[in-house]
Amino acid sequence: MLNVSVISPEAVLYEGTTDSVVAPAFDGEVGILTGHAPMMTLLGKGVLRLGGDGGSGQRFNVDGGFLQVVDNTVRVVTEKASAA
Amino acid sequence: MAKGRELKGRIKSVENTRKITRTMEMVATSKMKRAQDRVAAARPYAQALRDVIASLYSSELAEQFPLLRQPTHVRRAAVLLMTANRGLAGAFNANLIKEARATLARLDSEGVTVDLHVVGRKGAGYFRYVGRAVASARTDIGDRPSAEDAASLINDLTDAFARGAIDAVYVIAPSFKSVLSSPPTTTQLLPVQPPEAGALQRDYILAPDAQAILGALLPLYVRNAVYRALVEMTAAFYASQRTAMKNATDNASDMLKILGRTYNRARQATITQEIAEIVGGAAALQG
Repeated sequence: MLNVSVISPEAVLYEGTTDSVVAPAFDGEVGILTGHAPMMTLLGKGVLRLGGDGGSGQRFNVDGGFLQVVDNTVRVVTEKASAA
Repeated sequence: MAKGRELKGRIKSVENTRKITRTMEMVATSKMKRAQDRVAAARPYAQALRDVIASLYSSELAEQFPLLRQPTHVRRAAVLLMTANRGLAGAFNANLIKEARATLARLDSEGVTVDLHVVGRKGAGYFRYVGRAVASARTDIGDRPSAEDAASLINDLTDAFARGAIDAVYVIAPSFKSVLSSPPTTTQLLPVQPPEAGALQRDYILAPDAQAILGALLPLYVRNAVYRALVEMTAAFYASQRTAMKNATDNASDMLKILGRTYNRARQATITQEIAEIVGGAAALQG
């Protein structure tokens, strides 16, 4: 399981566990499953999708910012984020 | 009983004032709580940004970023002063303006040309009154500043700094330490003071690379600093308004106590005098 938090300047939009994350990285979509290697990547514009298990398939529109994966913890930090 | 009537009028007016200040105190309290929540909600983002910048930053990379450029000689600086749109908050705005004047005086004495940017009607009004030209004045930012507000304030300054048109950017805003203490502080926003460089602890996969990530995140960091200043200013404003209104309410209560006592004394004196007159009149009839 992954611990995911989606953080915007105004608030923490989501905090919880899920089994997968699909994020719009700057050069295309990136998928993250449990056990992913530590990674830091810039985000582009698009839809961030959390997996169905636990994350209840939530979606967020994001634009810019970054995503950090370390020890099954995913942090999505973006200036513009809204639930989609 | 001319004096009694006069006192009664004053008591009525102080009571009305107290009603108003008490209401304002309660309104300020609830707005302050909401503003405080926003200050707290802004923390994780700032923390996350700071962590990442600190872990990517290294002094070798520093020279490549315009926002980290450390000018040897500051010729032109921008000062961003944040004040509230409204008053009735004690010395809140006055303290901020005082801090701004001290900073301006210091920069002037160093021979720096200063562009003054003001947020809030109170600051704008003051500098219009003293006749100091301001580069921009924003009065449209309300109780709930957004990240876009912050971006619109700082983006031009960031560009100007990157171009080399200005050599430093300062922000003057209250730093919201607690409900009772939010001293106005001047902080240097640009050039960015790099956070303590913490080496990358892990073998991160970096996409695209450290330099590009840092380049993309530094403007976010600067914008976030402005956003936080705005949010803290709002919280500090309501905290200070609450204190001011609480004091006003307490003062009104004290005043009412004294006025009430004076009024009762006057009333008693009149009654005593009337009784004395009746007794005197009756005694005269009997006699």
